[in-house]
Amino acid sequence: MGHAWIDGNPVALDAAAAEAARLLRAARLPVIAGLGTDIAGARAAIALAQALGGVIDHMHSDALLRDLAVMREAGVIMTTPNEALLRADTVLAIGSALQVRPELERSLRAPPTAPEIGSGVKRRVFCLCPPRGKPEGAERTIGRQLDELPALLAALRARVAGRPVNATAALTRSLDALATDLQAARFGVVVWWAAELDALAIEMLCGLVDDLNARIRFAGLAITPPDNAGGVMQACGWMTGFPMRTGFGRGRPEHDPWRHDAARLIASREADCVLWISAYGGGSPERSGDVPIVALTGDDTSPAGARVVIQVGRPGLDHDAVEHVAATGMLAASTAKAPREIISVAQAIARIASCLPGGPGAPAC
Amino acid sequence: MLTRIAGGRVIDPANGRDGVGDIWMRDERIVAPPGDDARPDATYDVSGKIVMAGAIDIHSHIAGSHVNTARLLLPEAYAEVPCVPPSFVTGCRYAAMGFTLVVEPAVAPTYATQAHLELADIPMIDKATLAVLGNDDFLLDLLRRRESAAAVRDYVAWTLGTARALGIKVINAGGAAAFKTNVRAFSLDDVVPYYGVSSRTIVKALQQAVHELGVPHPLHVHCNNLGLAGNVDTTLATIAAAEDLPLHLAHLQFYGYGKDGPLGFSSAAPVLAEAVNRAKNVTIDVGQVMFGPTVTISSDVLRQFNARHRANPRKWLIQDGDGNGGGVVPYRYRADDFYNAVQWAVGLELFLLIDDPAQVFFTTDHPNGAPFTAYPDLFALLMDRDLREQWIATSPDDAMAVTTLKSIRREYSLTDIAIMTRAAPARLLGLPDRGHLGPGARADIAIYFDDDDRAKMFRAAHLVFKDGEPVVRDGEVFRVRWGRALDVRPQPDAAMARRMNDYCGERYGLPASFLRVPEGALPRPEPFECVPCAQ
Repeated sequence: MGHAWIDGNPVALDAAAAEAARLLRAARLPVIAGLGTDIAGARAAIALAQALGGVIDHMHSDALLRDLAVMREAGVIMTTPNEALLRADTVLAIGSALQVRPELERSLRAPPTAPEIGSGVKRRVFCLCPPRGKPEGAERTIGRQLDELPALLAALRARVAGRPVNATAALTRSLDALATDLQAARFGVVVWWAAELDALAIEMLCGLVDDLNARIRFAGLAITPPDNAGGVMQACGWMTGFPMRTGFGRGRPEHDPWRHDAARLIASREADCVLWISAYGGGSPERSGDVPIVALTGDDTSPAGARVVIQVGRPGLDHDAVEHVAATGMLAASTAKAPREIISVAQAIARIASCLPGGPGAPAC
Repeated sequence: MLTRIAGGRVIDPANGRDGVGDIWMRDERIVAPPGDDARPDATYDVSGKIVMAGAIDIHSHIAGSHVNTARLLLPEAYAEVPCVPPSFVTGCRYAAMGFTLVVEPAVAPTYATQAHLELADIPMIDKATLAVLGNDDFLLDLLRRRESAAAVRDYVAWTLGTARALGIKVINAGGAAAFKTNVRAFSLDDVVPYYGVSSRTIVKALQQAVHELGVPHPLHVHCNNLGLAGNVDTTLATIAAAEDLPLHLAHLQFYGYGKDGPLGFSSAAPVLAEAVNRAKNVTIDVGQVMFGPTVTISSDVLRQFNARHRANPRKWLIQDGDGNGGGVVPYRYRADDFYNAVQWAVGLELFLLIDDPAQVFFTTDHPNGAPFTAYPDLFALLMDRDLREQWIATSPDDAMAVTTLKSIRREYSLTDIAIMTRAAPARLLGLPDRGHLGPGARADIAIYFDDDDRAKMFRAAHLVFKDGEPVVRDGEVFRVRWGRALDVRPQPDAAMARRMNDYCGERYGLPASFLRVPEGALPRPEPFECVPCAQ
């Protein structure tokens, strides 16, 4: 059924759940961090945070909230992964975006496949600042290091708009050639990976996409972080109205990307108990002195020194799950590939919640 | 459990009832009054109050990825009540106003799983979805190849079953597909590049398929040219295109504009209302604009793209999706803005100039015209001409000069409200056990104070019963319970399932099952209720 430990000693699941509940209830600012889990686990974690008056954060919030910041402060034009594969005849890849998704890179090397765009359409791939070198199949690159990117993007955007730039003649020629190629697109896609960019660079990229849409069709594609970050963000949205980095300490949900940063809360010892969730095996919690950690993790991935560990199954492998699917950009159900008798994150949280006074919390109107 | 609701004024137009009397319920159903020796387990004395069936909203954006994007787009809106509340708050607020069923009108089949997960977290009310078709490659290709009406029927049936929907919605048919090829305007007789089919052809094919499948709700149409001056011509042409089959036109207010007057923008509501009055096969919902900040959520990506630079606050998501895509664009309707004032007037003119309250449906296209929390104020405007006059007096004169609103004296009665928000929607959606208070009906009941301030009356129901259980008192939810999602299940030919599997493999690299809503993953024991198709 499942393995559980208290202070490194194997115990029955119920004992671990009770101890976890005791630690979380005793805390004044419990943080539910990691949040690498399926939709059911995310819902349970959010409800638990609400009942405890705690904070929820996801291990990849930094990257996810960078993309979100650009949308909610500037505006974005986006497309889906499948539409990009089907119809993009021009791809502008930023940094390592293609290299972190090899299957995307492979698919983008092939021509676009949608019958409705006509036959014989080729796909041209260009790159800006790929730190790992020119991706295979890319026609040209400009720039090499990521720190060149902001200036290059600004200059490219200016040249697309026909404005002068303060650059060498050679660079200006390169930018002009790229601007011409982008503006010849029938359906262009810019793809980036927020983990290696800052929000201002992403905003400049999205601004370029918006500018290009004055006369042609172009859209953005953001590589989503792993560990179901996209799915957890959706669940946070419909349950609380906010993404992760939301706290319930004052009764109603409050979103604050700085205040509710789990790593910061733990490092500063504002947090006095951590529930670390990582069913996919990613990441590890911030360690800070004697802040107790309760871990819901997969086999062999529990953080050393965690007070309570409950081993949980991997979604989509050990048990059925609903997750954000990177390849399609949507939530979808998956059937367990190799089902086994092991507790899921949602079930583990239910056990813990049942040990709290009043049982699992119900959200308030 | 036998319950008696005693002495209220029962307004039940579906059963020809308007008078003081009792309603009896046994468990979750309304029953005929039992014999004189019957002892109810609970009695609610509602003398002096108004008793109606629970209200039904047939077009409100409450769930799905674009709705969720609207939440994430506007975190600052939480200071007051957000215009797109979280799922839990949505259900409670609707219940507080006496609503017991709400239809989410635009779910792309690729996002049906998320939509149903969100709906499952909306408490109190029953719900339903409409699945979006009309810009998807599969349908457009069927039409390009002139395949049979049976093929279209099978595809529609397959979509309804996979997406667990109650009906089909078409949104600017062909427009989103054309926009991907850089087309920037799309009207009823424009043709989608490559497929060579017009918007009209797509709408007619879907209308016919929905009708032949016996799906109770007619094809639900979001016309071309939303929001554009002079678009009344498109709307009239679409009404005519319905011919003699049923058709429902969504948020008609946004299509009621002429080009008259010094600013080239005017109300065309009178000619539009007259066309609706003559076309008994057509139903419409208004999509009333009310003033204040809101956010527009629409799968009409072309429209949202063209409108995005008027966003207020200035930000948006525009998405070229798998099929329709969409856009989320915040907007503020201002009472002192000429255009917004005309829009506000057009909606009211449609309500008041369409004669039959069973043909016109009460919506603000939440949140596109206004958040659903504006409903109470809208009820008041419909029922009180003096109140309308006060609003008109503070509206820009040049706006009122291009509408007829000032001259309209009609006031909605409580019976009109009951027909429009209870009896007619239940009939339109094919729900014989809702929208009325006769024996056998589901005990979804809303009881109101009979307050002259109609906004106050409809803002906070005195008592609401859902499936026979009391859940709201004086505008506050006191018992949380969960409703069901209504869906239709016409059976497609088995060959279509095989064909869709092949198609999804080619188009997405996945089996068709990736689109199926996983009933077992929804966190309610009985998430669905099947609505029969007519046969």
